[in-house]
Amino acid sequence: MSPLNFVRSAVAPVAFCVALLTSIVGSLPAQAANTDPAAEAWVSEVSQQAIKIISDKSLDRAGREAQFAALLDTNADMQRIAAFCLGQFLRTPTPDQKSEYIKLFNNFVVKVYVTRLSDYHDEKLVITGSQLKGDTQALVQSQINFTNGREPVKVTWWLLKKDGGYKLFDVNVVGVWLAQEQRSAFTSVINNHNGDFAALLDHLKQQIADAENGKLPTTAATTAQ
Amino acid sequence: MMTVFARIANAGAKTACIMLAFALAGCATHPDASNPAAVKAYEETNDPIEPLNRYFFELNRFLDIIILKPVATWYQGVVPDPARDGVRHFMDNLDSPVILANDSLQGEWDRAGTTASRFGINTTIGVLGLFDPATGMGYPKHDEDFGQTLATWNTPEGPYLFLPILGPKPPRDLAGYAVDQFFDPLTYIYWNGPYTVPVARFVVNGVDVRSRNLKTLDQIERTSVDYYATIRSLYRQTRANEIANGNVSNEKLPDIENLNFDTNEPQSVAPAK
Repeated sequence: MSPLNFVRSAVAPVAFCVALLTSIVGSLPAQAANTDPAAEAWVSEVSQQAIKIISDKSLDRAGREAQFAALLDTNADMQRIAAFCLGQFLRTPTPDQKSEYIKLFNNFVVKVYVTRLSDYHDEKLVITGSQLKGDTQALVQSQINFTNGREPVKVTWWLLKKDGGYKLFDVNVVGVWLAQEQRSAFTSVINNHNGDFAALLDHLKQQIADAENGKLPTTAATTAQ
Repeated sequence: MMTVFARIANAGAKTACIMLAFALAGCATHPDASNPAAVKAYEETNDPIEPLNRYFFELNRFLDIIILKPVATWYQGVVPDPARDGVRHFMDNLDSPVILANDSLQGEWDRAGTTASRFGINTTIGVLGLFDPATGMGYPKHDEDFGQTLATWNTPEGPYLFLPILGPKPPRDLAGYAVDQFFDPLTYIYWNGPYTVPVARFVVNGVDVRSRNLKTLDQIERTSVDYYATIRSLYRQTRANEIANGNVSNEKLPDIENLNFDTNEPQSVAPAK
């Protein structure tokens, strides 16, 4: 073997490895730049708190709702969600109607989601990825893996960066954005009452009253099926 | 022959009824043309025959209360879980040819391979489809239909349409549903009757699907300020998700950056008072 060939055969694999490494190292920051680990950690933390509240069998309905309301109050951008759900009717309410709407909306959301989330008590949520959306928003993908062999449920969290922290704007469960679903129902109610905002307030009051009269199954015990 | 004809004639008759009723019932109130926000919202809702759709929605709800829900509740209570899962797997396996055809038409060759493998494995090892060993072998289930194929070919969904028995079927999905019958080998096997098998399949499938949604639909109904509008939104969002094969896109999200009660959102122009 000539020295030149020896050098070649010795250098070639090294060069190959170096090339491979640089390409991997080069591609890493490019991927990392688009994910948002802080948002992932935030979702993991908040969802654990939510599951804990839903699963806590020592709480009665009122207690569970109170804790869930506090969780939403700290971690969700409720004003913005309430505004979003009005769609084209954002400017319709009078200042009095507006403040009543925001109050009812908070109450309604707590009652609705304490009920709907009851399915997910004692389950585990696993974060599967995240993307930054612009400078101020992030999407976090996660999956709920059921202990009873049910197909996993994909959940995407839409966050807004606010004051160095995060606020939840919307949640996507198997392809359905929940705030968009509420918006279509809210605007439909107003539309079908010829743009009368009071109709929406009445409907929300009715729903909340129904829930309080026990027409909603809101305890973990009722979810066995 | 009869089955297909009956199905098409059925769909045709329904469409004719709808057109007739449409003419009679009139359509949803048009928005004030001078209010761009209202016009945009009207186009987004895209439900010009809403009063009629609501009528059929209530009709289906009535049928659900008197027949489907009781039967599904009974089915869920009496038939043990493994047996119900067997029924589900068998039904899913029967859908494989339709899914395979649509996977191929969309050029999704990986997914077509998965569907073919699932059909092979589940029909043999899975005892004629009663079990689903394929999922455990790395071939998970997915759904496709010709409505979705049309969507990948950029066919718009069309105005919302809610039909008796069939439920939400806007024109694209209704056409897809009709075409899918021709992708289904069973259509040809039972071309000359008897009706029993296709009808039984439709009914058993309906009961099984309903039995799996008893609690979910109950919750949605009880927690909705407008059940009809909620179902419309759920249907559209679920379809969009199916068409995207479950990939939530962050490109098509609404702009919420400057959205609140105090600043003017570009989409919402205050109505002139």
